[in-house]
Amino acid sequence: MPTVRLRDASEYPEPARRLFELSRQWFDYDFKEPPAMSRVMAWDPHFGGPHGRAMKRAMAPGEFSRGEKEMVAAAVSGVNACTY
Amino acid sequence: MTGDDRWYEAAFVVGITNALNVVADGLGAAPMPQVEPETAPAEVQTVFADIRAFYGTGTPVADVLGGQIPTPFGLIAHDPGYLADVWAAVKRAFTDRRLSRRHKEALAFAVSLTTRSAFGTAFHLGEMRRLGVGERGVMEVVGVTQMFSSYTKIADTLQLSSDMADIAPADPSGVPDPGAG
Repeated sequence: MPTVRLRDASEYPEPARRLFELSRQWFDYDFKEPPAMSRVMAWDPHFGGPHGRAMKRAMAPGEFSRGEKEMVAAAVSGVNACTY
Repeated sequence: MTGDDRWYEAAFVVGITNALNVVADGLGAAPMPQVEPETAPAEVQTVFADIRAFYGTGTPVADVLGGQIPTPFGLIAHDPGYLADVWAAVKRAFTDRRLSRRHKEALAFAVSLTTRSAFGTAFHLGEMRRLGVGERGVMEVVGVTQMFSSYTKIADTLQLSSDMADIAPADPSGVPDPGAG
């Protein structure tokens, strides 16, 4: 069970909900609620905004494809013993 | 990146990378000498020759290693049979198959960086460069590693459950034939 109560998307102000739409586009998946991490990051847009932009920069296709980078991310998460 | 075969390959790279790093970082500074190629028995020299051929000589990796044989292999060569089996697994894991060797080195570099392996980070950085990855590509892997080292700790601190666990695509490839490929 999460340490915090994750708010539903409807509890967030409009700017955050626009970010949730960008999150849906990023994952290309129609979640019932925005991913938990997106809702966590939206709790403080001054942290979540730049953190999310840095992530998108890092994950954008370059010398490695988005798919290759997703696998690197999965490996890093696995090594960190993170199930999220 | 669909199809379980790619994920098996990635998992084997992650596992064997960690195995090499454990020995190199853990024993590298311990009073345990490496087997020197010049005085090694013939069966060890045969494996060493294959290792040299796989990684190349006169390359950035060789410079990083400070010698011709990567530290973990020199350390485990005291048991030639064990060395041969470990090397066979390493070579198999890093050979081009469904995932490219270049991508596998990026995975190994990310894992080594995440686990703070001085040996593995330098070694796989050298391998990435030898295989043609530029500074931009290196920075991409550093960025992914760094950002997901952040996300994972945020998720763990808040004990978040995965959003994606139930939507992984079905794998149509079936169980791979261990002898194939």
